[in-house]
Amino acid sequence: MTSLKEYATQLDGPDQAERIYAAEDIGYLNDPHGVPFLLERLDKESSRAVRDVIFQALIRIDADAAIEGSIRLLCSADPQIRNQAADVLRNKGARSVPFLNVAMREGDKNTRKLILDILSGNPASGTEEIYGAALSDPDQNVVITAVENLGKIRAEAFRGRIEDLLQQGAHPMLISACLEALVGIGHETSLVAIRRLFPKFEKLPDFQLASYLKAIAALGSAREFAEVASQLYVRGSNLRPAILSTLMAIHRRCPSLEASEILLSELETLVDSGDPPVCRYQAVRLLGLLSGRDDVYAHLVSWLSSTERLVRLGAAEAIRVTGRPGLELVLAAHLHEETDDEVLEALRC
Amino acid sequence: MLTNAPLQTITAEHLERLGQQIYRKLGLYFDEKKNYFLKTRVAKRMAALGMDNPDDYVFMVSYADTNGLEMQELANLVTTNETYMFREYDQLQGFANYCLPEVLSVKQDRGDKTLRIWCAGCSSGEEAYTLAMIIQEVFPQSQSWDCKITATDIDENMLRKVAAARYGQRSINDVPQEYKDKYLIAEGEEYAVRRRTAALVEPRYLNLNDRMALRAMRGFDFIFCRNVLIYFDDLSRKSVVDHFYNALNPGGYIFLGHSESIGRVTSAFTLKKFENHLVYVKE
Repeated sequence: MTSLKEYATQLDGPDQAERIYAAEDIGYLNDPHGVPFLLERLDKESSRAVRDVIFQALIRIDADAAIEGSIRLLCSADPQIRNQAADVLRNKGARSVPFLNVAMREGDKNTRKLILDILSGNPASGTEEIYGAALSDPDQNVVITAVENLGKIRAEAFRGRIEDLLQQGAHPMLISACLEALVGIGHETSLVAIRRLFPKFEKLPDFQLASYLKAIAALGSAREFAEVASQLYVRGSNLRPAILSTLMAIHRRCPSLEASEILLSELETLVDSGDPPVCRYQAVRLLGLLSGRDDVYAHLVSWLSSTERLVRLGAAEAIRVTGRPGLELVLAAHLHEETDDEVLEALRC
Repeated sequence: MLTNAPLQTITAEHLERLGQQIYRKLGLYFDEKKNYFLKTRVAKRMAALGMDNPDDYVFMVSYADTNGLEMQELANLVTTNETYMFREYDQLQGFANYCLPEVLSVKQDRGDKTLRIWCAGCSSGEEAYTLAMIIQEVFPQSQSWDCKITATDIDENMLRKVAAARYGQRSINDVPQEYKDKYLIAEGEEYAVRRRTAALVEPRYLNLNDRMALRAMRGFDFIFCRNVLIYFDDLSRKSVVDHFYNALNPGGYIFLGHSESIGRVTSAFTLKKFENHLVYVKE
């Protein structure tokens, strides 16, 4: 059996393929003593292929030495090495958290940001101290990244601090990050904090409206429904998809909501407009949810013959939602003239 | 049978977020034209898991699927698994019009009359025989060369199909007529690959997770491994692609599926552009 020492010798050999195999073998050996050889080789290795395999070996070696070595590499001047080291630490999961905690206290702002990138999306236990520090970090970029991460992992424990940051947030990106994080966490009471910051919805600038709409979509109720609906033709057409999604999301939570005549009329206009097909599709579907009226149903049926496939798709789905007797027959009647696979699937579903 | 409940609650935003996750983890791209296709598959998974809130499903796939099992289940539904001849035609054009002539020219200049191609994860062999047809079509001198297409797969049943070299109508739908006339023979409801073309393909068992077996694969000018690695976890995918790197001759090309990017797996290969075609080469 080949020993670590022999692999280490091959790792310094002239042949690239042999170096790749040696690094791979050291990884499978899973011996902590292999780590220094890998790190030493990394310093002088010019082949990207060999470097890639060295990092894979560090992932495979189940030892603290691999974590400590990778943390040192987070300060490398070479961005490829920094990113690959971050990848190793991400793969190590909860085991790397105590080491990252120390690095968070001692590292510069770039290292602190990188540590949060490593933790992103990973609800590993023991990260509370890291996030606690990050939310008070002097660097705005670190704070924003921490807020984004906490939203992704639905960190309810940090909701209060994020709501406080929202109120203090001078930086528009921090405000948007806080809004999105509170959406992720999804607690109804966050809506109070959000409305405190934005008491007048119609005065919100467009660039913040998208994040705000996500919050309303997740947490809003009947009161917000009318408010959002009023903006459909007030705001730019680029915001219409977000407005329609928000209305649909609120309707899901409040299915007994009734739409105003104005909204129904605006939606019908939108379906027949030159707006992007996805927007028209959303409008058809929303009409299906909002109205049980015969005239609206008749429109839905007529849109099954639209020249725009997404409108036909939306109409098929909307008709199904109405639950009217005989709807299967109405949908089946269009099977023979339909050529689009997806619409056919919706008609048959 | 799908229940309407999950289907109706999945929004465009859910699909966008899921689409991003699927792209990040599997390299498969869904544009909005495929929204309904994706939506019905997601609804199927939600129903199987007893979930009725798409937010929870998106969260699970994004952040709570640490071993990637749910992503695999979804992948099984959203990937068609089917293979057919001349699939991903654009990529084959890049191979036929630019990469193959370049490699052949370099080899001819140094008097090396061998051509080695590896179809990794060849399934029932449609891709391997497509390449055999292309080689014979664009490089008629191949008759006097030592050309071999090694078609490997882990599934012995698939390898038996490769060896049989007989295909149904579905597999040959996209074969251009002149290729059909030249390289295939109709036999009842099936088509057989003509013997001279079939002889270029050598089926062989290989497990892409067997690193020692992979080390034996060397000296290839081209590797095709399209729509196979999406079923691997990150670390295994990286490991296999590093073996591909070693298996290629310098100047050799690797082709993954249209939606799979080597750049996301390794930095070892160099990206090269031939008009509209982007390809990865070992320099």
